[in-house]
Amino acid sequence: MTAIADPVARSSGPAHRTGVAGLGAAAVGAAGVLVLVVRPALPLVLLAGSVVLLAVADLTWRLHRQQTAARVLEAQRLDLFSQRQTTADELEVATRMLRARAETMTSVIDAVTEQSIIGTDRDGLVRVWNPGAERMLGLPRADVVRTRSIIDFHAPEELDTEELDAEEPDAGGGTPFATLVRVAREQGSDVRDWTYLTADGRRLTVSVAITPRTDDDGEQTGWNFVGTDMTEVRATERLKDQFVSLISHELRTPLSSILGYLELVLDDPEQPLTGEQRQYLGTVERNAQRLLRLVGDLLFTAQVDAGRFTLQPAQVDLAGIVRSAEETARVTATARGVAMSVDVPDGGLVVSGDALRLGQACDNLVSNAVKFTPAGGRVALRLQTAWRNADGALVDVPTAGATPVALLSVSDTGVGIPNSEQGRLFTSFFRASTARRNAVPGVGLGLTITKAITTAHGGTLDVVSAEGRGTTFALALPLPA
Amino acid sequence: MDAPARVLVADDEEDIRHLVALAVGKAGCTVVAAVADGAQALTVARAERPDLLVLDVSMPEATGLEVCLALRADPATDDCRVLLLSAGASPDDVARGLATGADAYLPKPFTVAGLVRQIQLLTAEHPG
Ligand SMILES: Nc1ncnc2c1ncn2[C@@H]1O[C@H](COP(=O)(O)OP(=O)(O)OP(=O)(O)O)[C@@H](O)[C@H]1O
Ligand SMILES: [Mg+2]
Repeated sequence: MTAIADPVARSSGPAHRTGVAGLGAAAVGAAGVLVLVVRPALPLVLLAGSVVLLAVADLTWRLHRQQTAARVLEAQRLDLFSQRQTTADELEVATRMLRARAETMTSVIDAVTEQSIIGTDRDGLVRVWNPGAERMLGLPRADVVRTRSIIDFHAPEELDTEELDAEEPDAGGGTPFATLVRVAREQGSDVRDWTYLTADGRRLTVSVAITPRTDDDGEQTGWNFVGTDMTEVRATERLKDQFVSLISHELRTPLSSILGYLELVLDDPEQPLTGEQRQYLGTVERNAQRLLRLVGDLLFTAQVDAGRFTLQPAQVDLAGIVRSAEETARVTATARGVAMSVDVPDGGLVVSGDALRLGQACDNLVSNAVKFTPAGGRVALRLQTAWRNADGALVDVPTAGATPVALLSVSDTGVGIPNSEQGRLFTSFFRASTARRNAVPGVGLGLTITKAITTAHGGTLDVVSAEGRGTTFALALPLPA
Repeated sequence: MDAPARVLVADDEEDIRHLVALAVGKAGCTVVAAVADGAQALTVARAERPDLLVLDVSMPEATGLEVCLALRADPATDDCRVLLLSAGASPDDVARGLATGADAYLPKPFTVAGLVRQIQLLTAEHPG
């Protein structure tokens, strides 16, 4: 018996792991042993006993087989149970994590009360509606989720479907919803102003970020719409725009008269002025020009802020621009006792850009240098070809990957700008303490404008300055490689 | 000797109107009329057929742009020269002005010398 039991007992260990296949092998092994036992029992007298023996053996074997099977099954059951337990444990952990994550998500979404967060299915049916959306659009979640389309809250005239019909008739297009998500579908995301209609009939200008929502397999399940109410911001912007253009028109008109009639008086050959009269009227003219420049700067800054500033590109020789900036500033420089020098390449240096704007940028840097340099100081204008390294640094000698730039530097030996204030130079209306302390006139728009012009040309504007010793502004514009 | 070119001036600002008229004189031309709105400018232009109109862009009744378009649309006046004056100096403003068929566009504030030069240029080959 032990002989029979042994292999099975031994195999019972691994059997529970190999399952049914292991069980079959154990049975075959048992049958082989049985044949060996039976063969020596051939004498007839022993036949009956043999039959009994055989029956017993058979029974024993069967019993054993059942027991083995039961043990194996029990082992399997235990194993499955522990597996199930593990799976259940894992599942519970995963569920807890998922719930925690969902709760975090929900609480984050619910905490957002100033932005609308709306999730829809692929056809625009609302699935997520946060308190921000409730507040903005005036409807509780329960009235919207699974019953309303996001389209119900959009001004219909903005979701004209004609355009899409013509372009891609079978991109699920042709519906207002397809129009709404078209750009996000094509580009992966989209941020722009849309008009939302509230429950009480108000129209809101809302900046909406639209993104597709996908499940774990990357399958798209719907769309997210995150909206910020810009109604007041946009209205203020419009008002500011109107105000600036009204003011600039209203200021320009009287200035036109002042400057025009002054010119008539100053240039009248039949009635020459006395030296004193000429000097007084010259002062009037200078101040009228200053007002005019201020109006222009304000208008230009407003246009830059509104993103409504365009360049008229052409081939421009920067050498000419630098020379004429020097000419413009020379009178003031001479009067202040500031020496000026100009160093430009003989053959000129041509960039592609807006001549008027580049002239304005250059004038601003030069007039600052003269203005912030006390008597006896020097202002040097230098134009040269230089290189921009791969890391953005400007160098005289090209390195691998460097691109050519036209580099204009305006250096002075003036009051300088304290280190701590240099970061704010390009902010509208910012004036350094050195400017205020020395009562140098200005409003703090020149550099903001110069920076905007430079950036619009794909260039950079950098400053190096030491208080009390001087300042260098470096304006670099890309050159064709 | 050619008879001096005849110029119509239209600007709602009296001081500017007067200044432009002075410039017309300095350019050696005569002022046919100096009016304060677009409707009058059109009426006088149709009656007097001036060689040149100096029009402010923003005027009551009809803007300088509208006057210019109306002149160009009428065979009786479509050969008048037009110089637009405007406080709007952006490239867009200039393009919009010239798109109406005006011959030149001068942003305000202009210099008197510059205006005189423009008037002389535009009346140089007048038929009179
Ligand atoms: N060359 C310079 N030397 C010393 N400080 C300067 C120089 N250039 C600019 N700054 C500082 O940067 C500030 C901002 O310059 P920005 O040209 O914008 O204004 P502003 O010259 O004061 O006025 P605006 O140019 O509008 O008439 C100045 O007020 C001054 O403090
Ligand atoms: Mg300045």
